[in-house]
Formats: sequence, C-alpha cells, structure tokens
Amino acid sequence: MSALLFDGVGFTYPGSAAAALHDCSLRAEAGQVTWLTGALGAGTSTALLSAAGLAPRHTGGDRTGLLLTLGLDPALPSSGAALGGRVALVLPSPATQLSGIAETVAQEVAFAPANLGWPRARIQARVAFAMEALQVTHLARRDPGTLSGGEMQRTVIAAMLALEPELWLLDEPTSALDTAGRALVHALMRREAARGAAVVVASEDTDGLHSVAETLIVFTNGRPALRGPPREVLRGEQVWSAGAASTAIAGLARAAGHAAPRPLTVDEGVALWAR
Amino acid sequence: MTPGSGTAAGRLHPFTPLVLTLCVAVIAVAAPDPLTAAALYAVTVLLVVVTGVGRAALRALVPLAPLWLFLFLLHGVLGEGDRVAVMGLSLSRAGLALAVTQACRLGAIATASLALHASFSPARFVDAVADRGWSFSWSYLLVATLQALPRFRARAGAILDAQRSRGLRLRGSPLNRIRAIGPVTFPLLLGALAEVDERGFALETRCAGEVTRRTPLDPPADRAGDRAARWLASAAAVAAVIWRVFG
Repeated sequence: MSALLFDGVGFTYPGSAAAALHDCSLRAEAGQVTWLTGALGAGTSTALLSAAGLAPRHTGGDRTGLLLTLGLDPALPSSGAALGGRVALVLPSPATQLSGIAETVAQEVAFAPANLGWPRARIQARVAFAMEALQVTHLARRDPGTLSGGEMQRTVIAAMLALEPELWLLDEPTSALDTAGRALVHALMRREAARGAAVVVASEDTDGLHSVAETLIVFTNGRPALRGPPREVLRGEQVWSAGAASTAIAGLARAAGHAAPRPLTVDEGVALWAR
Repeated sequence: MTPGSGTAAGRLHPFTPLVLTLCVAVIAVAAPDPLTAAALYAVTVLLVVVTGVGRAALRALVPLAPLWLFLFLLHGVLGEGDRVAVMGLSLSRAGLALAVTQACRLGAIATASLALHASFSPARFVDAVADRGWSFSWSYLLVATLQALPRFRARAGAILDAQRSRGLRLRGSPLNRIRAIGPVTFPLLLGALAEVDERGFALETRCAGEVTRRTPLDPPADRAGDRAARWLASAAAVAAVIWRVFG
C-alpha cells in the first residue's frame, strides 16, 4: 500500500472558479523521497494540504476523487485522530507554525508529543534526538519567538521529527535556510526515508534534489504533467516547458544554448565547458 | 524566560496568582467604604512587593494617576453635601470618601493584574492545567491570547515602519493621521487573519486537538502554602460579597 495515494483528485477552494487540483494522480511510497515542483499556483501546496486533510477540513472547498493518506481518507473528521502524530506537515512560514505558548525551543519541540500524551521520558528522549538532528540543541532554552528565520525553521522541523512520523509533507522546508541548513534538511529527508518514512516535498528549489529524491513530479495547472527520476527530468527540456525550473546550472546551460541533456551541478557544468 | 521567573510570585503555583487577582477584584468591588478599600490596596501592594513583583505597583500608577485626579475632581470638587477644607480647597465630604474608595479599588485591581502579568508563565500554566487533567483547549486559548498581544504589537510596529518608508505620513495634521488609519489597519488585520489560518493548520498537525490527556512536561508543585492562600483569598472574597449584600 502506498503511503500516499491520489487517484483523480480535484480540489477547488471556496469562492474560486478554477480548480487548484484537477484530475491529480500520484503515489508516494514508504522509504522514498518524492519531490513535487512547479510554477507558483501549480497546485503542489494544495496537494500537501489535501494529503494532510486540512483541505477541505480547514480551508473549506470541494474535493473529488480518491485520496488515501496512510490508508485513510484524510478529509473525514474521524481520520484526524487516527492520523494524529503519524503525519508531519511543515509549512513555508516557520513563524506561524510555532505553538504560541512555548517559552523555550525545547518546549516547542515537545509540544506535539505532549499533546499526544506520551510518557515524559519518551518525550524527553525524542526532543533531545530531534534537537540534535536539526542542530538546535544550543538553542534549547531560547524563546522561540526570538529566533532567526532559519533557526525557527529548523525548530519547526525538529518539532515534527520528535513525532517520528510515518509520512512527511514538507512545503518549501528550506525557504529560510542557508546552504548548510539546506544540506542538513536534505540529509534528514534521506535518513527519514531510510528509516521507512515516506517523504513528500513541495518546493520550487530544485538545486540538489537529484541527490535527495527518488521521484520528481512536475505540476502544471493543478496536475502532474511530468514525472520520473530527478536527474532524468531535470536534464531535459520538458521541465522548462512545463513551467517549472531545473537547477541553476541547467538554467545557465540552457541560456547558453546547450541542448538537453544539460548539466545539473557545478562539477558537471565545469566538465561540459572545459571540453 | 518569563519576567517573573526569578521571583517568589513566579515560583508560586500558576493558579495561586490567578485566584488571588480574581479575589482582589471581587473584594475591591465589594468594598463598601474608603477604609476597607484603602486596606485592600495596602495589602495588595504589600503582597506584590513581598513576592518580588513590586514594580507592578509602580507601573500601575501610570494609568491610575490621571484617573485618580479625575475622580478627585468629579466627586471631591463637584460633589454635593457637607464640605471640608483640604489644603485650601472646599471639598465634598461624601464625594471625597467616594473618590478615595474608587481610587483604592482601581489601585488594588490594577496592581494585582499587573503583578499577575509580570509573574505569569504560559508554559507553567498549561502544565498546571494538564496536571489536573483539565481541557487543553481553554488553557491554550487563554495563554495564546495573552502571548498574541506582544506579537500583534510587533507586527503593528513593522507595518508602521514599512508604510512610513513607503512615504505614508503618520504625523502632522489630523487629516494626515486619519488618512493613515486605513493603510496601517488593513494590513494588520489581514495579516492577523492569515496568521490565524496558518496557525490553525499548524496546531492541527501538531495534535493540539487530540482528545488524549496532555502530558505535563514539568508540572509545577502545588504546595500547602499555595493551597492555603487560594482558600483564604476565596473565603475572603465570598465573605466580602456576603457582607456587601447582607451587611
């Protein structure tokens, strides 16, 4: 069974004439990183909100088609409790994902496990592990509201890691991070997939994803238009015609008139231009 | 770190300052005469000083001073009945008594409230509620509302700065100020509404609505002294109400 299954899913926000998702079909498997990309408004964020059940439960609107998250329809009110703690959703603005009541980063990371009623010893162990993994242990006693954007984003991801989720839904999870922070989160995705979790990422940032994800899905107009192994997809021309972007080096090669397949990394670019 | 965390007030069980503040408010409203109201104010100031949050008493004076002056003018100078001479002024005896009563009531309530604010720890309060097995939702609502105020103020400051840097005039004529209300208020409200939406998403995915009993991370100790203070204050409040109604 796929960790996440969309079969002909459509979604329309309330008051909107156009569907944000339209006949959208995709799968995300446990033990793999699946990367969704596309131009702004292509539907990747809505896909994650739908997978988490927040669309339509919180947003309102109409969903059609079959959607199963860990085997359950997340739109059903009864699924909320069943999926609680098993699905980790990380949104692009870290500041709005803080609990609003924690006085320290450690309390922030412990917020969700405490809500699930875990024993205190288990919470402490998971909090220590998650803070270490995201390198925020030195911030444990800091007020989360005073952190920088990058520190806050790492704290929010640590707060989700503490839950030991089966399914990760990450929407632009590195939007506030520097290069080192991005590498840290990419490594975390690989470790979580190796642990057996399914990791689904929605991001316009395609640099480095070919070494992280097993599958790349390019969205256009609310549905997957292109999918395949990231290296294959990103080196080609179709990713551009689908309205998305490949890596910066591939973009440079394209602008310089090189035909596909194009280089994706600095090393590959150097190898191409040194010839 | 919470402002009052190093003080005796900050070390009390979180319910104790809350109950004491509520009781001070009840007794203040029930206080029938200037002497009782003044005694309550004095006891409140003494308590906040002894528990290490004495600055609250001073901070309360800022909004209180103009109010006291207003009460003095309204009841003392303009009041009717017997007159007494105070520092060369002819004042109404009954009006003066009423002004003192009102001033002390307000003083006690403001001082207790500011002391509560100075010593309040959201996390300890949530832990105390969870420790009792009570609903997380209402404690979250209370605490998040208190925590939202500084965030709202910071957001308002950022919007003011942004609009000023884009040429909006916030000072000068009343017309300028009226014109500035829209560009400042609308982004503030819209931003707050958008934040509520996203925070709702985040809270749901972080299991804030779970029916499971929340684990208190560091439950605060509820000492005999705390319990005694709460019972004593509650009894005093009930007695004050009975005295006021039937006395």
